Amino acid sequence: MTSSFGLSFLDRTLRTTAIVFLIMLPFGIYYFGVYPALAAYSGGIWGMINLIFISALVRSAIRPDGADKNRSIILALIKFPLLYSSGYFLLTIDKFSPVHLLIGFSAIMVVLVLKAFGRLILSLDEEKAEQSKLGKVH
Amino acid sequence: MDYQAMLAWALPMGVGLAAVGSGLGLGRAVGSAMEAIGRQPEASGKIQTAMIIGAALIEALTIYALVVFFILSGKIGS
Repeated sequence: MTSSFGLSFLDRTLRTTAIVFLIMLPFGIYYFGVYPALAAYSGGIWGMINLIFISALVRSAIRPDGADKNRSIILALIKFPLLYSSGYFLLTIDKFSPVHLLIGFSAIMVVLVLKAFGRLILSLDEEKAEQSKLGKVH
Repeated sequence: MDYQAMLAWALPMGVGLAAVGSGLGLGRAVGSAMEAIGRQPEASGKIQTAMIIGAALIEALTIYALVVFFILSGKIGS
């Protein structure tokens, strides 16, 4: 059974990132200290919320059957002030290093790229396309 | 011109350039995605996913520029 590269891919990426953070948090606290680990963790949550909002915004604004304007406006009005003000707040905390915050923020991008790269290496999408072609022929 | 004045001049310029670059990139990405969905509405899920990933990566670069701005802005006037 192969998983699809549809919109569920993003949900799976968010779940994988959350699991990676849960596994890495105790190791981070042990090896780097409480504040660097918490900074990276906060950055990770910041990145995950960002992706959730981008995804919701795109899903509501770009649809074949027309955009849901009210939802898109509400999401944009929530997303941008929330994202940038929370980022600013995290940067103003003295005990949090911006580098650790950015490491956490980038983690979800790394998971996204690695998952997409894994699909490319394993040729999962080509396999699915072939399966659907065969299904249409038979 | 001392380095603080240069920094005070360069920081907003840098953030502005990052914003312009990401705006152009996002505009192209969304435009191409709309075109692709218009041609193949049945593939809209895949196109949206690829677009969201691209948008997230582009936006992350802008946020990096903003973080660098906040880090270096503390050095102006100190």
